[in-house]
Amino acid sequence: MRSLWLQVAAVTAINLRSIAQRRWLSLSTVIAIALVVIVLLAFLAMANGFQRTIAGSGADDIAIVLRAGSQAEINSTVSRDQVRLIEDGPGIARGSDGKPLISPELYLVVDGIKRSTKTKANLPLRGIGEQGSTLRKDITITSGRMFNRGSNEVVVGKALQRQFEGFDLGSTVAFGATRWTVVGVFEAGGSVFESEIWADLNVVQSLFNRNNIVQTVRARLTGPAALNELKSYSDNDPRLKLDVKSEAAYFAEQASQTSDLIQKLGWPLAIAMALGAVAGALNTMYSSVAARATEIATLRAIGFGGFPAFVGTLAESLLLAVIGGVLGAAATYLIFDGVTASTLGGNFTQVVFDFKLSPWLIAEGVALALIVGLIGGLFPALRAARLPIVEGLYAN
Amino acid sequence: MNDFDLIRKNLFRRKLRASLMIVSILIAFMIFGVLAGFYRAFTAGEDAAAADRMITVNKINFTQPMPIAYYNRVRAIEGVRQVTFANWFGGYYQDPKNFIMALTIEPNTYFDVYRSEFEVPPEQLQAFMRDRGSAVVGESLAQKWGWKIGDRIPLNSNIFSQKSGGHTWDLTIAGIVKGKVEHVDTNFLLFQYAYFDETRSFGKDTIGWMILQTTSPENNDRVAKAIDAMFANSTAETSTDTEKAFGKAFAAQFGNIALIVLLVVGAAFVTILMIVGNTMALSIRERTREIGVLKTLGFSGPRILKMVLGESVLLALLGGIPGLAIAALIAMALRNSLASIAPAFAVSPTIILQGLALMIALGLITGIIPALNAMRLRIATALGRG
Repeated sequence: MRSLWLQVAAVTAINLRSIAQRRWLSLSTVIAIALVVIVLLAFLAMANGFQRTIAGSGADDIAIVLRAGSQAEINSTVSRDQVRLIEDGPGIARGSDGKPLISPELYLVVDGIKRSTKTKANLPLRGIGEQGSTLRKDITITSGRMFNRGSNEVVVGKALQRQFEGFDLGSTVAFGATRWTVVGVFEAGGSVFESEIWADLNVVQSLFNRNNIVQTVRARLTGPAALNELKSYSDNDPRLKLDVKSEAAYFAEQASQTSDLIQKLGWPLAIAMALGAVAGALNTMYSSVAARATEIATLRAIGFGGFPAFVGTLAESLLLAVIGGVLGAAATYLIFDGVTASTLGGNFTQVVFDFKLSPWLIAEGVALALIVGLIGGLFPALRAARLPIVEGLYAN
Repeated sequence: MNDFDLIRKNLFRRKLRASLMIVSILIAFMIFGVLAGFYRAFTAGEDAAAADRMITVNKINFTQPMPIAYYNRVRAIEGVRQVTFANWFGGYYQDPKNFIMALTIEPNTYFDVYRSEFEVPPEQLQAFMRDRGSAVVGESLAQKWGWKIGDRIPLNSNIFSQKSGGHTWDLTIAGIVKGKVEHVDTNFLLFQYAYFDETRSFGKDTIGWMILQTTSPENNDRVAKAIDAMFANSTAETSTDTEKAFGKAFAAQFGNIALIVLLVVGAAFVTILMIVGNTMALSIRERTREIGVLKTLGFSGPRILKMVLGESVLLALLGGIPGLAIAALIAMALRNSLASIAPAFAVSPTIILQGLALMIALGLITGIIPALNAMRLRIATALGRG
């Protein structure tokens, strides 16, 4: 038994050392595998970054109330009467002054210019109620101040300010005939709110002719469990044809659509490319076996078994695959990790997010590379193991 | 035995190797076909845009409404041949997942403005105009749900509600709209704005956007300026742009799709190029002695060059053509499920031509170095080797 392993080790070592003789062919396999991994990881990092930005935006103890069937804030309408009914609903936390902690909000789409492409893009302008900023976790004004109620002032999210032109502190932005002053920039823990512009609800309502109408109501619940109380209250009152969801559930839904799409695009592409790379790897390894036919036959003639030849060839293929996989992962990390991108989200507005690789994704990439190496090495390895000695000795 | 037989026999001398090459090339062109089709779908609006068509939207953003009164004022502007308008409905059928691109339109003018793209039989159009509660549907949408003329369908909106409180509009299908040219996507439903406006619970007397046709593309600038000046300093200022510019800006909102497509196709191609190129070089090297024999028999250098290049081009075509065919099948299969994000997803004749050009280019690039080596090979060296 021990001698078998020694044989395996010896043949593997010979195989690996001989890679240098086939450096161009081997290099092309490594690069092919690396490219496959780069494409896969770029897509997965994009989906992951998008998912994290959106799914990280919601809290369990905040309820979001939308018109039934509307799916996204942009499509929803909630009347003033309904807002009053929600205020009196069960399960809603109250401040020290006894007022319910809710924020009726109006979500409008306005145009902005993207810095990188100079093209128009849909940006969200959110009119928020008094409690609006306290109903979101980790909101901090990093420069300037909060807008004054009743004035044409806005605060903008950090990500939005970075990606779109004209939102510097103190500058004036025009939405239609109305001019607004940017008085502050806020951070929101990397959530989707950092892609928004916030202003006072009443001012937005009157300037956009939406008096008496809001789109959503956010409410702080007394606890995550209170959501069901509020839900059944809404279901049992015919005046409230509303959907009540936890903010976390709402955003999870929003995130899944787009990131699913990215993944659905990424995996098939990567698998199709991987099949191409398998063909390349098979080629390399068959050539490797052909080139070493005499050598393998000689080893067999002096008493080495077929198994060491099998392992040796497979090891060579797997080594090339690992190098390709690691190279691809490293290249993806260097090129794509942290790259900021934006796309249209569920609310028909731009969501700014960063490509984000994770150890788990890197593992998926390297695993794909290993599968390519395994399949690409398996059949040539079998051929090496079964090579008839006499034929091999006369191979050249 | 002519040269082509020789090329074919050479190519399949090692059947396994040739098959592997063909599979990699097939995959590369499958990716190319699918991505190019996808990219084309994203930019279809841009390609289909007529030069003399312009879009007027609310300056704040195209999702903001404007008063319907604007419609008649724009009609009166000199240089405007025809104007129509539309409003987004946010439609779905039975389940919110079944998104339907539904618009409410002005039936008298809409098909005039889009006359080069859409075709409705005159009697169906008449029926549509007569019945306020009717709709016309695009051919591919009608096919998807098996709708026929006379069917009554409930159309839901995820935005609007009726005065009576419901979110469903019942519509009778009065006609089927066919596309006239390749780029046209017919995955839509159109119904009368007048009916919609009097039944909806909010937003009365506002419209989403106007589509206008100028008397000539040269008038575009002047007309756009005249419209936007007319509504300057009003509560709903407008922004007028050519249909093409509008479509381009909209497509850009999805992020840089073109770059991603280029990246992936590029990566796939580099991969395949390397694999095929290497293998070609390898197989020519193996045949050195044979090439020497051919030369001894009087084959000229250029003829050998042509034969080797012929072999690599044949290889590329053998892999590439089925690859494009598979891409076309994939596009057909995915067309409906991607209708909401990438309508008109298909492998078009243009893509096929581009693909063929790429195959030939791939064949030439991978074959050129081995071919040159083979051409320059001296008989003595060739016969002496191996």
